[in-house]
Amino acid sequence: MRVSGTQAPNLKDDAALISRIRAGDQSAMADLYDRYAGVIYGVALRVLTSTTAAEDVVQEVFLQLWRNPQAFNSDRGRLAPWLAVIARNRAIDLLRKRPPEDDIDELPISTGVNLEDEASQKLVVDKVRGVLGGLPQDQRKALEMAFFEGMTHTEIAGKTGDPLGTVKTRIRTGLLALRKVLA
Amino acid sequence: MNTHPQFAEALALYAMGALDDPQERAALEAHLGTCGDCRRELEALRADTALLALSATGPQPPARSRERLLSAVAAEPRVERRNAQRYAVGRLRPRWFNLAPTLVMVLLAIFSILLWRDLRNTRRTLRHQHAEMEQLQAELTKKNAELEESKMVTDLLHAPDAWPLTLVSKKTPPQPQIKAVYSKQQGSLLLMASNMTSLPDNKIYQVWLLPADGSAPMSAGWFKADSKGNGMMFHKMSSGIAAKGFAVTIEPPGGSQAPTMPIVMEPAAG
Repeated sequence: MRVSGTQAPNLKDDAALISRIRAGDQSAMADLYDRYAGVIYGVALRVLTSTTAAEDVVQEVFLQLWRNPQAFNSDRGRLAPWLAVIARNRAIDLLRKRPPEDDIDELPISTGVNLEDEASQKLVVDKVRGVLGGLPQDQRKALEMAFFEGMTHTEIAGKTGDPLGTVKTRIRTGLLALRKVLA
Repeated sequence: MNTHPQFAEALALYAMGALDDPQERAALEAHLGTCGDCRRELEALRADTALLALSATGPQPPARSRERLLSAVAAEPRVERRNAQRYAVGRLRPRWFNLAPTLVMVLLAIFSILLWRDLRNTRRTLRHQHAEMEQLQAELTKKNAELEESKMVTDLLHAPDAWPLTLVSKKTPPQPQIKAVYSKQQGSLLLMASNMTSLPDNKIYQVWLLPADGSAPMSAGWFKADSKGNGMMFHKMSSGIAAKGFAVTIEPPGGSQAPTMPIVMEPAAG
């Protein structure tokens, strides 16, 4: 699921960044921030709709990685999707006023999608938005309620009046539609 | 990917934390413990949710956010902190500290004399208590063995490749049940049986590991059920043996070299 073409070796790629962070190199955190703060902030702001709270999530996620860089395994996937999911989960925890549910090293994510530079990020984001825009409205809404509002399938069914089975099918079909386009 | 269709929709919800039916969630988590395909699908579904997250990319955090993070990072140096602590110890050591070894030696000499006098009296008492100590030592050895076994059980339950198994009776209704956890890496098998048929004194239940390479079944321990049909067993064997399954037969006390048919318990389907 690599979106961009072959790239020249980048000394600041994810694995190199993580190695520097593990070695205690504080400047690596600046590079990490410059590359991925937008990813974390974007999803946190979408969930929490508060710039202050979203900024807090950015701080929290990066500091967790600084304190425990072993949590990310570069052999298992890319850093951006991993950070995005952790940021979303933390934002949902805050939205629902509950303590953090997941330890950051308990979230294996399998993806090869490349987001190490701005152009790759923009390409992926545009494609995902295109797919979402093409989904049937009910399907997209169910997906967004589950992901950005942290609602369970029972809550979604209660709110929309749709049967539980329909909600489940919509969510799974919507997710798989995203995967197919980037395959 | 060969995911199990009965879990496909629950997996997608689970990847987002949106599966709120406790029974459905428990069933899925139990299944994930034994199904590599479904675990891989879960990781792929998390990647799909990551794409959803990325769709929100655009707004940038305020400029102060970067400085705030870097200040927080600087306040928590990992490598430097250890060095700083080491240097601090050297700098704060006072000069009189150099006399400390001599002082310690004098104190030790005085202490040794007092100790020697005390020891002379204590020896007399100790002779009388020798037998009692031997008994305590035996108990300690036994407790240590129990502790070691408990630790191995805990290690097994926390092993990354711990494989929870449920073995049920081939006959219906499937009342006798065995729950087991096996770790290939540790070569450990923990087993808890319930509702087992009571066996005569000259028979035991023997557990067999069925190697994944198709070679002959290997003994994986034996146990006896109590009067209520309950039994428990922890068995340690060579590590690294991949298993495609386990089976239970009835054997004479001490176990057999090869299973005696029929198989009375085997892994549940699915």
